[in-house]
Amino acid sequence: MTRLERFRAMLTLRHFDEACLEGVPTGEIHGELHTGIGQEAIGAGMMESLQPGDAVVSTHRNHYHALAAGVPMKPMLAEIFEKASGLCRGRGGHMHLFDAEHNFSCSGIVGASLPVALGYAYSFSMKGQNNLAVGVTGDGGANNGAFHECLNIAGAWKLPLVVLVENNELAISVPIGDVSATATIAERACAYGAWGKKVDGTDVDIVAEAFAEAAHHARSGRGPAILEASCHRFRGHFEGDHDSYRTMKEKREMRERHDPITIARRKLLAEGLAGEAELDAMAEASQREMAELLAEVRAEPLPEAAGALDYLFVGGKR
Amino acid sequence: MSSAVRNLSISQTVAEAIGLEMERDENVMVMGEDVGKIGGVFGATRTLQKRFGDKRVRDTPISEMAFTGMGVGLAMAGLRPIVEIMFVDFIGVCLEQVYNAMAKIPYMSGGNVRVPMVIKTAGGCIGSAAQHSQCLWGLFAHLPGMKVVAPSSPFDHKGLLSAAIRSDDPVVYIEHKALLLKKAETFLNGGHVPEERYAIPLGKAKVVREGSDLTLATLSASVEYALEVSEDLAREGIDLEIVDLRTVVPLDSETVAASVSKTGRLLVVDEDYLSFGLSGELVTRVIEALGPGGLKQVARHAVPDVPIPAALSLEEAVVPGPASIAQAVRELAAVS
Ligand SMILES: Cc1ncc(C[n+]2csc(CCOP(=O)(O)OP(=O)(O)O)c2C)c(N)n1
Repeated sequence: MTRLERFRAMLTLRHFDEACLEGVPTGEIHGELHTGIGQEAIGAGMMESLQPGDAVVSTHRNHYHALAAGVPMKPMLAEIFEKASGLCRGRGGHMHLFDAEHNFSCSGIVGASLPVALGYAYSFSMKGQNNLAVGVTGDGGANNGAFHECLNIAGAWKLPLVVLVENNELAISVPIGDVSATATIAERACAYGAWGKKVDGTDVDIVAEAFAEAAHHARSGRGPAILEASCHRFRGHFEGDHDSYRTMKEKREMRERHDPITIARRKLLAEGLAGEAELDAMAEASQREMAELLAEVRAEPLPEAAGALDYLFVGGKR
Repeated sequence: MSSAVRNLSISQTVAEAIGLEMERDENVMVMGEDVGKIGGVFGATRTLQKRFGDKRVRDTPISEMAFTGMGVGLAMAGLRPIVEIMFVDFIGVCLEQVYNAMAKIPYMSGGNVRVPMVIKTAGGCIGSAAQHSQCLWGLFAHLPGMKVVAPSSPFDHKGLLSAAIRSDDPVVYIEHKALLLKKAETFLNGGHVPEERYAIPLGKAKVVREGSDLTLATLSASVEYALEVSEDLAREGIDLEIVDLRTVVPLDSETVAASVSKTGRLLVVDEDYLSFGLSGELVTRVIEALGPGGLKQVARHAVPDVPIPAALSLEEAVVPGPASIAQAVRELAAVS
């Protein structure tokens, strides 16, 4: 991807999650919603290193990873808006997006993503496929036992697993510094014979390069990689979270200093890769496209209640 | 006892019970994600860390297997830990410590070892689909060795939690996510919460509405749902007797059987899954008590053995709520 394409990808991610926000006050999304707003550089940065057949297994904060994995935007937005035309026919919802075609899945249970990613990694290794599995976790999820179990297995059996840690420094209200024995998550790599690196996850170019390195390591049969990308969660943990564990000043400064889109824009302008007008036009176009998509999705019907018991088992209701 | 209704949320009654028990017994402590600094995602431990310090009210990492097992060790070492599992749906990651350690050690030790521990967790539907909207009290009840509590009213939340903390047996205490922020004065039942410390014995159901036509046995949020529709149903000519079970283990089937011997009809409403759970168990016990001819009609209204779907249209089709409860009552009453 070119630098400009990375920038455009971040805009798409941001505008996608902003579209989701619109469904909360209206009740169109009637459960929890966790957005990735502020963390766009990671989703956009991983995109270019994923190849057809790769698997991505994400978390409760999964939208950006799904889009990076190639999950089509319209059925995904429709699923989040609980529509019959959604990716999972309205059964899954925002925390449970599944796309068999793109080997994308996720879990609302913290820590539950890595074991599934490990399964994909084993299958790729068994079949001699040159694919990799990305297991996503937050910093909080890295303290779940599954993190250790999966990395140990992947290390012992040299499986093509990339553990992508989105370190936004908070698990809801609990700071990672209070609950991790190591200063970084990446440094735990040595315990598993894994590649490990912590990078600035607010700079899409840095993420793209680092993810490419991690992916190369995993694809070359040398075992797992831990890529830890630092970032900032701009909104509350979920929509409705009072976010009282951070001061207004902290939150304002975070948005001013650490917005990956602003950071990329500044770099593109400084390096003469684009002009103000071009970038503004790009943002407007992206916003307009998303508004059109949202309008289309909103017009779709909800699933019919009569089908509530369908899809439990293959070929039948019960 | 003071008599004015204090307009507390359920979370506040829960925090009040824990605070009073922590004052009473220095061995009582709380551990879990976000329970300290912010006082719980629903505020059910608010102010406790300030009052009792961060050793006794501990924010943990997302390491449920470790801190649930820690609860077992702490209890064996003489403390009375309250371990918060934020949502009951997350119990899968630490079920090992719950059912193989906490619940079995008292029996396996021939009664030599006590595990006076409480797992405090939030269950019930909150619109967040398959992995965040379950009840699961039937799961715990199926596994021997734990008392299982699922309160409905503000009064019961406080008194049953105090009893759970004082219990020398392990207890799973399941709040309902949709009730935690609801205010006392909006409850039809048990809105008055005395300021002082009190405990309600575990295993005693409560008749929250007397009636003559049909016994509706339920617990947790469904008690309010049933009360909400009971007056409409009365106007239609169906006089409900509503029994709040309060605890699944012990299950007070005597109170239910006594009610059924009067009304002749039993409807069990359960927000948990239908099969192999509370509703089947309760019906069986009532039949065992009254004999197969002891009731005229029986029915169950519960989640029909599917995961909770995301879309509201589907969720309403599978999760019992006021409208579906009223419908189930009408259908049962119509059979003669
Ligand atoms: C096993 C389990 N425990 C607790 C939760 C509740 N919970 C959901 S997200 C979250 C915090 C996750 O923090 P982190 O992994 O850092 O990801 P972030 O939300 O910051 O993206 C918690 C505690 C859960 N979903 N699953």
